[in-house]
Amino acid sequence: MADSNKNLKRSSAEREGTQDYKRMKTNGDGDAMDAKPNPYLAHLDEDFSSPLDDFERHKTTALQASKAEDSDNNPWTGRPHSQQYFKILKTRRDLPVQKQRQEFLDAYHSTQILVFVGETGSGKTTQIPQYVLYDELPHQTGKLIACTQPRRVAAMSVAQRVADELDVNLGEEVGYSIRFENRTGPKTLLKYMTDGQLLREAMHDHDMSRYGCIILDEAHERTLATDILMALLKQIAERRKDLKIIVMSATLDAQKFQTYFFEAPLLAVPGRTHPVEIFYTPEPERDYVEAAVRTVLQIHASEPEGDVLLFLTGEEEIEDACRRISLEVDDMIRESDAGPMTVYPLYGTLPPHQQQRIFDKAPDALRKGGRPGRKCIVATNIAETSLTIDGIVYVVDPGFSKQKIYNPRTRVESLLVSPISKASAQQRAGRAGRTRPGKCFRLYTENAFKKELIEQTYPEILRSNLANTVLELKKLGVEDLVHFDLMDPPAPETMMRALEELNYLACLDDDGELTTLGGMASEFPLDPALAVMLISAPEFYCSNEILSITSLLSVPQIWVRPNNARKRADEMKQQFAHPDGDHLTLLNAYHAYKGAEQSGEDVKKWCHEHFLSFRHLSSADNVRAQLKRIMETHGIELVSTPFQNKEYYTNIRRALLAGFFMQVAMRESANSKVYKTVKDDQLVMIHPGTVVTSPYDWVVYNEFVLTTKQYVRTVTNIRPEWLLEIAPNYYDVDTFEKGEIKSALTRITEKIRRRQAMKGGR
Amino acid sequence: MGLAAAKNKRKLGNDPNNTKWSRNTDSFGQKILRSQGWQPGEYLGAKDAPHAEWHTEANTTHIRVVLKDDTLGLGAKRNNGDECTGLDAFQHLLGRLNGKSDETLEAEQKVREDVKLSLYMERKFGTIRFVKGGWLVGDQVKETPDDEIEKAQNGSASEAQMSSADVSEDSEPAAVKSKKRKADQDTDREDDKARKKEKKSKKRKTDAETDVDIEGGKKKKDKKSKRRRTESEEGDEKSTESPDEVDGCFEAKRAKKEKKKDKKDKKEKKEKRRKDKEASESGVETGDSISKEKKRRKKDATAETSPAPTPAESSMPTPSGSGYSTPVPTSSRYLARSRFIAQKKLAFADSAALNQIFMIKS
Repeated sequence: MADSNKNLKRSSAEREGTQDYKRMKTNGDGDAMDAKPNPYLAHLDEDFSSPLDDFERHKTTALQASKAEDSDNNPWTGRPHSQQYFKILKTRRDLPVQKQRQEFLDAYHSTQILVFVGETGSGKTTQIPQYVLYDELPHQTGKLIACTQPRRVAAMSVAQRVADELDVNLGEEVGYSIRFENRTGPKTLLKYMTDGQLLREAMHDHDMSRYGCIILDEAHERTLATDILMALLKQIAERRKDLKIIVMSATLDAQKFQTYFFEAPLLAVPGRTHPVEIFYTPEPERDYVEAAVRTVLQIHASEPEGDVLLFLTGEEEIEDACRRISLEVDDMIRESDAGPMTVYPLYGTLPPHQQQRIFDKAPDALRKGGRPGRKCIVATNIAETSLTIDGIVYVVDPGFSKQKIYNPRTRVESLLVSPISKASAQQRAGRAGRTRPGKCFRLYTENAFKKELIEQTYPEILRSNLANTVLELKKLGVEDLVHFDLMDPPAPETMMRALEELNYLACLDDDGELTTLGGMASEFPLDPALAVMLISAPEFYCSNEILSITSLLSVPQIWVRPNNARKRADEMKQQFAHPDGDHLTLLNAYHAYKGAEQSGEDVKKWCHEHFLSFRHLSSADNVRAQLKRIMETHGIELVSTPFQNKEYYTNIRRALLAGFFMQVAMRESANSKVYKTVKDDQLVMIHPGTVVTSPYDWVVYNEFVLTTKQYVRTVTNIRPEWLLEIAPNYYDVDTFEKGEIKSALTRITEKIRRRQAMKGGR
Repeated sequence: MGLAAAKNKRKLGNDPNNTKWSRNTDSFGQKILRSQGWQPGEYLGAKDAPHAEWHTEANTTHIRVVLKDDTLGLGAKRNNGDECTGLDAFQHLLGRLNGKSDETLEAEQKVREDVKLSLYMERKFGTIRFVKGGWLVGDQVKETPDDEIEKAQNGSASEAQMSSADVSEDSEPAAVKSKKRKADQDTDREDDKARKKEKKSKKRKTDAETDVDIEGGKKKKDKKSKRRRTESEEGDEKSTESPDEVDGCFEAKRAKKEKKKDKKDKKEKKEKRRKDKEASESGVETGDSISKEKKRRKKDATAETSPAPTPAESSMPTPSGSGYSTPVPTSSRYLARSRFIAQKKLAFADSAALNQIFMIKS
């Protein structure tokens, strides 16, 4: 049963994939297509009298549009409106943004770029694209409307909602497109997509000629892709005067957006938010977790009905706080007449069905007339913007979050607890005012708020490794990286490091031009190192295996290690362990998973028994299928060394180096647990989650992170000879600084030379 | 940090910041950037970009991180416990040397004193709880002062509570005034008691005609006089405000045998102790239903940040200074003892109990 399901899913994934491919193809000659009337939209010209007939593009009014919306037949499909439609229409008319529809249209007509500010709850994400739809009339021009979202889930759910509001089927007039899924069709007029997806489309269509209007939603979140899109659209807007751009943001930094977009006009719509009362502590807290737990309990004890949202930083902290709060509440109930309180954790790696539970209703009072129950959600900053939970009245904010920050000098990615920004603090507080006036308890002093918090959270572009971005920019035709007009230009060192890495990977030639390999690597939605490893895998006769490993590295951890069964989980992991390292262990687990699937076992149960994440394994499977298709289109062979061959694993280990030769560490000294990264000379430890037990002298690693210490994660044993052979450029011994690594490499060079001399002598 | 503090040894490499790489001027990356017209020290991005005014240091160099491996709250310092003491006396002088104006110095001084005083009070007596009684407008008691009706609607219970600790400063000062809320439900207090209290407070509303309204001016004044808490000061306040608001919102007869939950314990005990004490001392609480909220803002060095926020009317900056608002662990050892003493005192004050103790039949 599960097996057949599985197949079904896969085949549907494949179908979508082909669509994807076709779409990409048509993108290329999009310009030609636009010249003639779009044959797919011909049905709209048929002679039913549409309320849209007397609409004139860019001259419509709100009145006209609302008349069209009120008519019996759907102007977009010609079908009669359903009952449901009118019901939704009524609620739509109550949205704050509706009152300013005419104002919006006037502003929209008057300018090419518009900055739109709408607080949460204003309805901007669903309504503005529809207003544009009624004005842009894409069925006449054949140019679509795109609305970008930073998150996949948002793109999907908003598209579904808007399809309902317009009374059309999702995937027809309204569709969405996200990284591994495309639900659009020939009839599509309005398309929700992730910002990354629009960027990928732009690689093949530098002018974005398919689109008549592009709406960048949630621009204040400043994702990497949004930042690049903004810079790109700024350029395109000069070339294509017919392209309209709307940048939608939250209030805080609207001015910055205006300035950035040639002093674009601003339109603001108030949200439907209630006042939130803010409280600080008089003195700093000794222990913010402790203080947070107490605050929650005190709210429960003394505040009127309403749910609580507590922000903490990480999974462990959250689970711990949840446990403590639940225990204390139980006590409280036993000792006195407190109301019941259910506590839910919420963090990114939590399985979806458990995430869903936060929307459960708060528990009822224990007895009739007793104190009301409430729920308490303990969340990471995922609840800051990504998720809206109604019913929250109290917010507890200790002022910390975990942030990923990349350091180009040492090439370490740190994931550390750090103070949030003022903007972030306000966003958190705002969560309390969604349903009624609320309260926000900040576990720091007002002084700390003013003095210790930065104004804005650093945009992603300042915190990330830019290797992938630079590759994308090159592919997007951006030649001048120095003067590319980003809203927040990254640190020069970050840019240098990215260029350098791409050069070593042979994606850029010595003049900084994109090479064939680089062009091919940019086709993969992967980091350049992974892409290069995948592309060069056939040389090592193991592209099938490297493909599997790549997919497994592109999804979250497949290992499940629940707190109450750590030991058993570790034992299970040992079953898959390969003595040479974690990459091979991953591969073993994947093969076992596929084996279980083929033998018709209940895979879900199998995964559960073996402490593997079914969700991540199946998504790795999906990613694998997508990547396989890209490989096929580029004629990259899929080959394997026979399993019986003793070179099977060796080949894979060598192939890893083809992409990751810059991520190698050598043991500092015999008997030491400390390793030193090559060239950067950083002292690192192997992350305790590894299966590697015997201390190897040389390892290749997938990530270098700074959490409590500097760790390398997912490591595999390699032989130093391979380094000299596979990446002679990088391992040019003369370029190394004096030290253990240099002498080790010199020794090995000597050894190789002697061996060759001996061979020649014979 | 004394010798006993946790040691944090960390092995560093020779070049933990990899300056070797960053100083290398002929790397491939630098070469490309220079060839495109970049000079060291410049931002990347468009030339003379109008939005450059928002650029920060993060646009010139990578973001520095700090490894935080403890749960110290935001703004708290590790060595807080044994920081140089006695500097307070010189703050005035030091401030003047640093070119601060007298007014700001006065204000800072006042804040410091307030904190000190309230800390003292909190440690010594704990806090006291009041119950919301409405506003006296003219000669009628209303739920809210007219101008704040809207803001105040959000409370539902009619009991206010004095919260320890929470000197919750608010950014929107007057907004908050009449926040009504249920009494801090303490584990010690049974529900019916609470409900009784609620009733009481309602009753009070009707019969508290005695309250004098001194709204406008007083509010402002109280903003400054937050966290006032000695008897004498209370007396003061009373005399300047309204002599006749002596009402029974003081809950003198708090349950004595409270069972504590560990977390809240400390605070509760303190509260009780203080109450006992006050009961023995004066027996009359002076809290007035109007200004109780302000008075309530005594703070408590030990209490957690209390979410029973009193309407925060202060826009004064939080005093920076000593202590945390979470309890200092060391003080807990005195708890049992002080409670015992308090009980004894109480017993001595009660002649019936004394008689019983000495087995005197009257």
